[in-house]
Amino acid sequence: MSDTNTSTIRRSSARVKETPEQRARKQKIQLTAGIVVAVLLILLGLYIQTQNPKGAYIWMIGLGFGYTLQRSRFCFTASMRDPILTGSTDLTKAVIIALALASIGYMALQMKLTGVDLSNLGTENLKDVSKLPGHVRAVGVHTVIGGFIFGIGAVISGGCASGTFMRMGEGFVQQWIAIIFFIAGSVIGMVLMPIVQASPILYQKNPVYLPQLLGGWVPAIIVQFGLLFALYVLADWYGKKKAGEL
Amino acid sequence: MDEKKKYPFHEKYFKKEWSYATGSVLLAMLALALVIVTGGSWGVTGPLGMWGGKFLELIGINADSWKAYNGSLATYNFWKDQTAITDLGIVLGAFLSVLLATQFKIKKIKSMKNVWAAVLGGLLMGIGARLALGCNIGAFFTALPAFSLNGWVFWISIFTGAAVGSQLLKKYFM
Repeated sequence: MSDTNTSTIRRSSARVKETPEQRARKQKIQLTAGIVVAVLLILLGLYIQTQNPKGAYIWMIGLGFGYTLQRSRFCFTASMRDPILTGSTDLTKAVIIALALASIGYMALQMKLTGVDLSNLGTENLKDVSKLPGHVRAVGVHTVIGGFIFGIGAVISGGCASGTFMRMGEGFVQQWIAIIFFIAGSVIGMVLMPIVQASPILYQKNPVYLPQLLGGWVPAIIVQFGLLFALYVLADWYGKKKAGEL
Repeated sequence: MDEKKKYPFHEKYFKKEWSYATGSVLLAMLALALVIVTGGSWGVTGPLGMWGGKFLELIGINADSWKAYNGSLATYNFWKDQTAITDLGIVLGAFLSVLLATQFKIKKIKSMKNVWAAVLGGLLMGIGARLALGCNIGAFFTALPAFSLNGWVFWISIFTGAAVGSQLLKKYFM
């Protein structure tokens, strides 16, 4: 992926395509294009703001997601595929760190609404858990089936949802094809959903909120961070074992 | 390597890759910054079904009358849809990132296998995300840290799916 890699390959395979001058010229073109694109993105942000009261802010966060995913080669699919395919757990550990950090934030935001003793749950201010920040959503057989199908699809196509969009920006033609069928699949999924929801075996409509399930914030925090910590240790051990360090 | 000496500023700020940990911290911060200000949490796949429905309307199929849409297509507006805006942001943010790093390259399809992988993988992801009420972001990165059981269940399920997918990938698509 990186330039140093491709240049070594080129040198060794003796099919030298470009001179250093051509290379420098290409880089200059890309850098200029990058600056032009940056200006256009700002202008687009101004337009979005005219359409949506929080548009420019949302736009900046969205661009931030893309920039961060690309720069750090962060990939959710790889975090689940690599342990099996290559034995590497570096991304798995990175995902666990991100989950733990995000948990701290959601915990603070949610606690403000639920109250430390969950006393606000079910009152006028907070009718049900699905109104909380984050997606506290229905969990059941549909989650298992959906997640399983999604996992197969993400590995085969070479990118999950955020990964597909990121790779489209990087110039992968495969992901431009994948998004068309991702959209088609979403339509099929939407058509199937009322049928699934009508089946009590396939669909359970109630969300399960850990602080409520475990009887308070303290046990929920212990379970949440305890599990994440245990998984981090496991991933670290597994990665080292596979790399032959243990 | 000589380029490094020639343009140390560009190398340091635009070309150098970030560590995974940097990615972890920034993604968590951005996701929280989004929900704090807008009240809406980060998702990705929600709008895809709407775009598909809009396309069907465009080619003359009245999808809006289907139970799945139930009239929601008529009032759908891309720029009012927070998730649609961040989705476009991911594509163009990544595009900007590779351009500034001077690493943009159209990566062509190598064989028909890649096409089938994209077709099948895309379809499965679309269906799966609707059934699970979200994708690796909406049903996982925005659900698990929100102390919701569906995030944990989704993680286990997607991991199992990824294991099966890896075998299929090795057998048929590589």
